[in-house]
Amino acid sequence: MDGIHDQGGRPGNAPIDTDSGAAAALDPRWHAAVFASINALFASGVAANTDYFRHAIERIDPDCYLEHGYYGRWLGAAETMLVEAGVISTAEIDARARERGASSADRVAARPGTRPEGLTPGDAGSAQRTLAAAPRYAIGERVRTARDAQPGHTRLPAYARDAVGTVIAWHDGWVFPDSHAHGRGEDPQHLYTIAFERSALWPDSEAGPGDTVCLDLFEPYLCPEPDAP
Amino acid sequence: MTHDPDQEQDQQDDHAAEPAIRAEALESLLIEKGILDPAAVDEVIERYNERVGPMNGAQLVARAWVDEDFRALLLRDGTEAVNRFEFRGGQVDKLVVVENTPAVHNVVVCTLCSCYPWAVLGLPPKWYKDPAYRSRVVREPRAVLREFGTRLDDDVSVRVWDSSAEIRYMVLPERPPAWADLSEEQLASRVTRDSMIGVEVLA
Amino acid sequence: MSAPDPLTALTGAATPPQANGEAMFEAPWQGRLFGMAVALNEAGLFEWADFQARLIHHIGVWDRAHSNPTPAGTAAAPYAYYEHFGAALNDLVTRTTPLTAAEFDARVREYRARPHGHDHDHDHDH
Repeated sequence: MDGIHDQGGRPGNAPIDTDSGAAAALDPRWHAAVFASINALFASGVAANTDYFRHAIERIDPDCYLEHGYYGRWLGAAETMLVEAGVISTAEIDARARERGASSADRVAARPGTRPEGLTPGDAGSAQRTLAAAPRYAIGERVRTARDAQPGHTRLPAYARDAVGTVIAWHDGWVFPDSHAHGRGEDPQHLYTIAFERSALWPDSEAGPGDTVCLDLFEPYLCPEPDAP
Repeated sequence: MTHDPDQEQDQQDDHAAEPAIRAEALESLLIEKGILDPAAVDEVIERYNERVGPMNGAQLVARAWVDEDFRALLLRDGTEAVNRFEFRGGQVDKLVVVENTPAVHNVVVCTLCSCYPWAVLGLPPKWYKDPAYRSRVVREPRAVLREFGTRLDDDVSVRVWDSSAEIRYMVLPERPPAWADLSEEQLASRVTRDSMIGVEVLA
Repeated sequence: MSAPDPLTALTGAATPPQANGEAMFEAPWQGRLFGMAVALNEAGLFEWADFQARLIHHIGVWDRAHSNPTPAGTAAAPYAYYEHFGAALNDLVTRTTPLTAAEFDARVREYRARPHGHDHDHDHDH
C-alpha cells in the first residue's frame, strides 16, 4: 500500500535527533499505557496477528503518523483495531476523551474500516514455514521487483519497486504478510535477500563504490530479469 | 447510587498518585540523610536502559572477537549463536549478523516500520523509529552517519540492510586495535548499541 | 557474594517485570524505586537475598488477602509488582539505615498535602 509509513528514500532531509535514547523509565505514562494495551489486544485476539497490526498502523491519519510519535502510532492502531472488532465505538472513545479534556479540534490518528474476515492468529513461536515447492530463484540470480503498488499490506517498499537486484540469500518459507494481514491465511512464500546497487535506486545520491541496499523480499514480489547487464 | 465520573476519576487519580508520592518521599529522605547520592538513581536507570538489552549483543560481539570458531558460527548462523548463549528474553526467529570490514560498513534500518533486533539489542532508540532516519539512511547513509559523528573513508562500501521481513539484523563491528589486550568481559562492556546498529564505529 | 543484577538475583514471583531482557516500568516512580534499590544494594546496605525475602513476604500478604490471585490480579485489585517492591525497599531501608518509619510516614503526609498539579510533566513530543 502506498502510504506515509513507507518512508524509505522520501525527500525532506530532516536532521536526526541522535541524542534520543530509549529512556523507558522517564517517558510519559501514556506510552506505557499504550504498550500495555497493545499487549492486551494481542492476548485477546483483537490484534489478530502482527501483520494486521502493522497494517493498522499504516492506515492511520498521515499527519498523526508523522507527528504523534511511535506510541501515538500504536495508539491509532489500537483504536482502529478495537473499533473494527466492534469492541468499542468511535463515539464512545470521543465521549470519554472529551470527559478527560480533549477538544473536537484535536487530531485523531485512528482510521477504522472493516475488519477482514478470516483473520488467523500468528504462531507465537515463529513465522518460518517449510515449503514443499522449491525456490524459484538461485543465489546470484538477477531479479526485478514488482512495478505496481498493491492496495493492501505489503513489505515491498515503494523505493524498491521495478528495480533490478541480485539474490544474495534464500531463507526458505515464511508467513506471507500480504495475505496474513487480510484474513487470507498464512500462504507462506519463499523469502530472499536481494541486494540493489544504491546508485541504481537513486542515481543522484552521494556516490560510493559498491554501495548497496539489501531487502528481504517474498517470491511474489519478484520476477526473473533475463537481460542482466 | 448515581455514577459520578468526576469523583471516580479523582479517586482513581489519588490511588494512582499514592505510589509515586511514596517513591518520591523515600528518595528525598534518603538523599537528605546522605544515604543516597542524588545522581545514583538516574545513573542506574540509564545503565539499565542502555546496557541490559544491548549487553546481549555486546556479549556476542566480544565472544566473536576472541573466538574464531564462534565468529564463524555467528556470521553463518546468528540464530544458533544466540541460542548457545541462552539470553534472558532472547528469543529470535532468525538473526543475521553482518560483519564490518575495512572494505564494507553495514548499517541496519526498517524503513516500513521499526523492526529491530530486540532480543540482542533491547529497546530501540527513538531516532531509529522516527521518519528522519528511516527515510534518509537508505538513500544517503554517509550523511546520516556523519550526523552520528561517523566518517567513513571514500573507498569503504556502505551496505544498508532494510529489515522488510521477520529476519533481524545486527552488525558485528570491527575490533579497535587499541582494544587488542582487553579481556572478553572488558570488551563486552565497551561495545555500544549504536555500533551494532551500524551508525557508530568503535575506537 | 550476591549477583549484582536484580533481574537475575530476584527469582520466581519476585522477578521484576521484563520484556526482552529489559526491566519494564509502567511509570517513572517504578524506575525510581528500582534505581534506589540497585544503588543501595551496590552501596552494600543489603543483599538481594534479603530483599527477595521481604518482597516474597509482601506478595504473600497480598495473595492471602485476595482470592484466586494471579500475577495480573483481579480486575478489582490489579496486582502491582512495584507496590510490593516499594514495601520491601521500605523494610530494608528502615532496618539498615537511620531512616525511621515515622519519618517516612511524615514525609508522605507532607507530599500528599501538596496541591494537585504541582509537578505536571511537560508533554514531550515523542
